[in-house]
Amino acid sequence: MPAPRYRSRSLRRVFVRTPSGKSVLHYRKRKPSKAQCGNCGALLKGVPRERPFKMQNMPKTHKRPERPYGGVLCSKCTRIKIKAMARQ
Amino acid sequence: MFEIGRLCVKIAGRDAGKKCVVIDVLDNNFVLVDGQTRRRKCNMRHLEPLDKIISLTKNASNDEVIRALKEESIGCEEKKEAKHKQSQRPTKKKAVKKKLEEAKPKKVKTKEAKETKKENTENPEKTETKKKSINKEHKSVE
Repeated sequence: MPAPRYRSRSLRRVFVRTPSGKSVLHYRKRKPSKAQCGNCGALLKGVPRERPFKMQNMPKTHKRPERPYGGVLCSKCTRIKIKAMARQ
Repeated sequence: MFEIGRLCVKIAGRDAGKKCVVIDVLDNNFVLVDGQTRRRKCNMRHLEPLDKIISLTKNASNDEVIRALKEESIGCEEKKEAKHKQSQRPTKKKAVKKKLEEAKPKKVKTKEAKETKKENTENPEKTETKKKSINKEHKSVE
C-alpha cells in the first residue's frame, strides 16, 4: 500500500526508470490546464503546459508564438481581428 | 488584386498587423513584399489588401519603399547598421601596460635624472681621489 498521502489522485503518478533498470513510481503535482484562445476557446498551439517554476526558466520566445496576440488568441482569430482592423 | 505598389497588411506570422507594399509578383501565389515588415516573399493568403496603390517600380529598393511610405505617413523602422562590422577584441592587459609605459615619458626622465645624479655623486669622489694622488706626488717631491 502506498503512504496515506499518496492514496488520493490529487498527485499524478510518473514511472521513472532508475539507473539500475528498475522502474519506480514517483508522485508529482499535476500540470495546469491547456491554454485556450480568449475568443473561440480553441486550444492554443505553441504554449507549453508546465508549472510556473518551469515556465519561469524558459525564454519568452518558448512560451508563446511570436505574433501579435500570441498566447492569447488562436491564429484564426488573430487573422480575423487584424483583417477587421485593416478594413476599418 | 495584388499588383505592384498595392498597400497591404500582413495577417500571419510575426509581422502580422504591419503594413507593406507589393514590389514584385513572383507567381500565382507569391509576391515580394517590403515596408514595415521584413523584405521577403509572401503568400497572398497572408496579406490583406488596402485600397491604396503606391507608384513604385518593380523590385524597388528598400530606401525607395520607405520614402514612398513616409509620404503616405506610414512610419518604417530604418535599417539598422550591421552590429558586427568590426569585432572589437578586448586588448590584453600586458599590451595596455606597455602602451601606457610608452606614453609616459616620466619614467625615462627619472632614469635620466638618476643617471645624472649618479654621475654627480661619482665625480666628486674621483676628484677627491685625484686630489689625493696629487697631494701624494707633492709629498714625494718634497
